[in-house]
Amino acid sequence: MKKGEKLVIVGCSGAGGPAAMMAKNLMPEVDVTIIRKEEFFIVR
Amino acid sequence: MAGLAAAESIVVPDKKLEGAGINVFVDEVNKIDTKEKYVTTSGGKKFNYDKLILATGSSSFIPPFEGKDLKGVVSLRGLEDAKNIRSFIAENSPKKLIFIGAGFITMEIASLISAQNPGAFDISVIEFLNRPLPLMLDKDMADPVQEYLEEKGIKILTGKKVEKILGSDGKVTGVELASGEKLDADMVFVNVGVRPNIKLAEDAGLEITRLGIKVNEYQETSDPDILATGDCVEKINFITKKPEGGRLRGPAVVQGRLAAKRLAGYDIKFPGVLNAGGCQMFDLVISATGFSEEMAAKEGFETVCSIVDSRSKHGMIPGMKPWKIKLIFDKKSQKIIGGQIVSHAIPPAREIDAITAFIMGGKTIPELTMFTSACNPDISSEPSMEPIAVAAEQALRKLK
Repeated sequence: MKKGEKLVIVGCSGAGGPAAMMAKNLMPEVDVTIIRKEEFFIVR
Repeated sequence: MAGLAAAESIVVPDKKLEGAGINVFVDEVNKIDTKEKYVTTSGGKKFNYDKLILATGSSSFIPPFEGKDLKGVVSLRGLEDAKNIRSFIAENSPKKLIFIGAGFITMEIASLISAQNPGAFDISVIEFLNRPLPLMLDKDMADPVQEYLEEKGIKILTGKKVEKILGSDGKVTGVELASGEKLDADMVFVNVGVRPNIKLAEDAGLEITRLGIKVNEYQETSDPDILATGDCVEKINFITKKPEGGRLRGPAVVQGRLAAKRLAGYDIKFPGVLNAGGCQMFDLVISATGFSEEMAAKEGFETVCSIVDSRSKHGMIPGMKPWKIKLIFDKKSQKIIGGQIVSHAIPPAREIDAITAFIMGGKTIPELTMFTSACNPDISSEPSMEPIAVAAEQALRKLK
């Protein structure tokens, strides 16, 4: 992805959270947004 | 569920995400427009995207038992479920608890409730197959687990099918088995699996299979701008390369990070799942990876298996605990394809990660007879009793 492009991630548990952190880490100039429906979501 | 950690401490904290520069919104995405490349939410918001990652997870599956909606029938997937179970027990003081299905979450919850309230409950677990933890352990490894749990006061009824959940005045009163036998219960816990959350992807026209959203080795879906990861996608088994569900947190985390790497331009492929997992019941720790002997047979493998009893420390060290390992090999290729550990101490159970690495590395029986561990009197068995090498030697003898 290129500078200024938008990455949207739906869900933030086992896969979504790590995907967002890794995306921001590798592509700091990409706009990363997480949308999750749970106030809290626990995964085992 | 144990009440030992605050909710905020066991989720990905928003501050960590926001601190990294990630925008976080709590809302439900209800539509993906793949042509205009945006999603909308039930809160009325619209988010444009260049790339989209779906990580919609899975939901607990409760079979359509008659009586499944009665008060006192509970399940566990998220924080709210845990709160509901704890408050139901506190408010209703149930005495007879029945757990349907002897999978690892069910067995952990049954043992946790028993351990926290010794003698307070009459706990029974009903399992359709012939042993507890049937997806992790073969019967020869599950038998000592069953004996241990029964010594702790948990009844395990194997080979029994629940036909319906019984109730009166809207409250659960028991279960009826296919045999017609009725068992009393004040609370029934049902946790027999999960199903992928695919509706959003399905509505968007993405390719779906009966196991989840279809993705390639890079987590890419049938839409070039949408990736999907975790419980919501179909996995590929590492050994057979066949599609399967494989809904565990380990692969979800790795797949999530892999999707991000793909978008950053890396060419790394997901190797497939081995379904490695672990659980703890009282002081007993169980871990498994790859195929059990039974699963391997179903997949058409002729196997060579070995079981070795070992110890957590050198024999003369105080605090030594026993543990047991089973290795499963494909007789034709002699490659290791599975492992199971039942241990009375936590550290040996982590040797399952070595087994996973050996499977991924295609290691064979002769090669594993050469395995040496990092031995020390306080942290391992004696080198002469290193159980992986001893198990491989057992298998080597069986090949002749």
